[in-house]
Amino acid sequence: MTTTPDLIEDLARNLQPVRPLQKPLTRAILWLVLAMIVLGLLAISQGVRPDLWLKLQQADFSLSLAGMALTGILAACSAFMVSLPDRSRLWLALPIPSFLLWIGNIGYQCATHWVKIDANGVSSGETLRCLATLVLSSLPLSLMLLLMLRHAALLRPLQVALMGSLAVSALTAAALTTFHVLDASAIILIWNFGTTFAFVGAGWLSNRRIFNLVAPRLRSL
Amino acid sequence: MRPGHTSGFRPKLTVVGAGAPMQAPQDFDWAILMARGQEGDQAAYRRLLIEITPYLRALAARQLFNAADIEDGVQDILLTLHTIRHTYDKSRPFGPWLATIAQRRLIDRLRKTSRNRKRETTLTEDHEQFVDGNGRDEPMVQPRSLAAAIASLPVAQQQAIHLLKLQELSLNEAALKTGMSVGALKIATHRAMKSLRALLTPGRDQ
Repeated sequence: MTTTPDLIEDLARNLQPVRPLQKPLTRAILWLVLAMIVLGLLAISQGVRPDLWLKLQQADFSLSLAGMALTGILAACSAFMVSLPDRSRLWLALPIPSFLLWIGNIGYQCATHWVKIDANGVSSGETLRCLATLVLSSLPLSLMLLLMLRHAALLRPLQVALMGSLAVSALTAAALTTFHVLDASAIILIWNFGTTFAFVGAGWLSNRRIFNLVAPRLRSL
Repeated sequence: MRPGHTSGFRPKLTVVGAGAPMQAPQDFDWAILMARGQEGDQAAYRRLLIEITPYLRALAARQLFNAADIEDGVQDILLTLHTIRHTYDKSRPFGPWLATIAQRRLIDRLRKTSRNRKRETTLTEDHEQFVDGNGRDEPMVQPRSLAAAIASLPVAQQQAIHLLKLQELSLNEAALKTGMSVGALKIATHRAMKSLRALLTPGRDQ
């Protein structure tokens, strides 16, 4: 058993210089740029939906897309802020307005014109392509975020995991909406909120375990 | 213009901010020491850790009660601070940064101890050995009746029981002492135990 003075002596004697982290917003922007690159590459390889320009002129479509993108951006900022010990937890509230815009818009669309899945149903090809987009966008985004926020494992793993999952799922939902023709309301709901709940739920359940994989190791006593 | 200046009356600033001059310079010092520590200045870092330890100990003592737990908590905080020292931004105050790390680590420690406590069961009287034989599967045998029972066995079996069970020799040692083979000893012991069980268990002797 090491005594505290011994521990202090040990830590001081083996002290290595470290480079302080960049400002959290700078790091959030860096992650968002990387995310844009990933999504841009995906857009090039998978192609955007053919009726994207037409759809963007519809207020409800562009509003919900803006809601998703904003939620992704703000949740990322919030995650980087909350991951630091000296920042207020009120940053957790940052993505709430845009999240409400996103949910409210989809809810409104569903209430006003519920589009049924037609007789042809959903082609399994489209579902598979959606799944591919989902994995190809969320996996690299999550991994980058996890590495950039690994110090949070020792502090607020749950809050940071929740905000990170929200950021990843919102950007993934935006990608799904721009790349794939999802017109049936049920499909939009499933893909948007299914992914969000899956990510946030996974973040909730596994925040400690996942973070511990990449957490900076405490030196053993 | 502030009214205090125009009238020549100076408000009692020192009373209002009485706590501030005590806190702020210390936080400022710690911030400087931490910034130097980030650059690798060992002396500054050592001074910082030594100076914050009493403060951490006071924080830990509020949540943990056992002296050893408190010291463990303090060391955990120091190690965490060391591990994530790159997250400190020298343009911001040091106090809140340190306080959050301390709080998070102490809460984690409390959760862990309460989780362990849930898994553990305190031993009660029921878990203790019964000296008087109550509650055992087999009734306690009186030493005298055991000796009598052993004496009633054939000589070879008596020897086996004495050496292997009462003196707790190994089979090889007993074989050397008696000149019997290991196999013969095993058989003798087995038979002796069987007869003893029959002799000493009431209702089984027929």
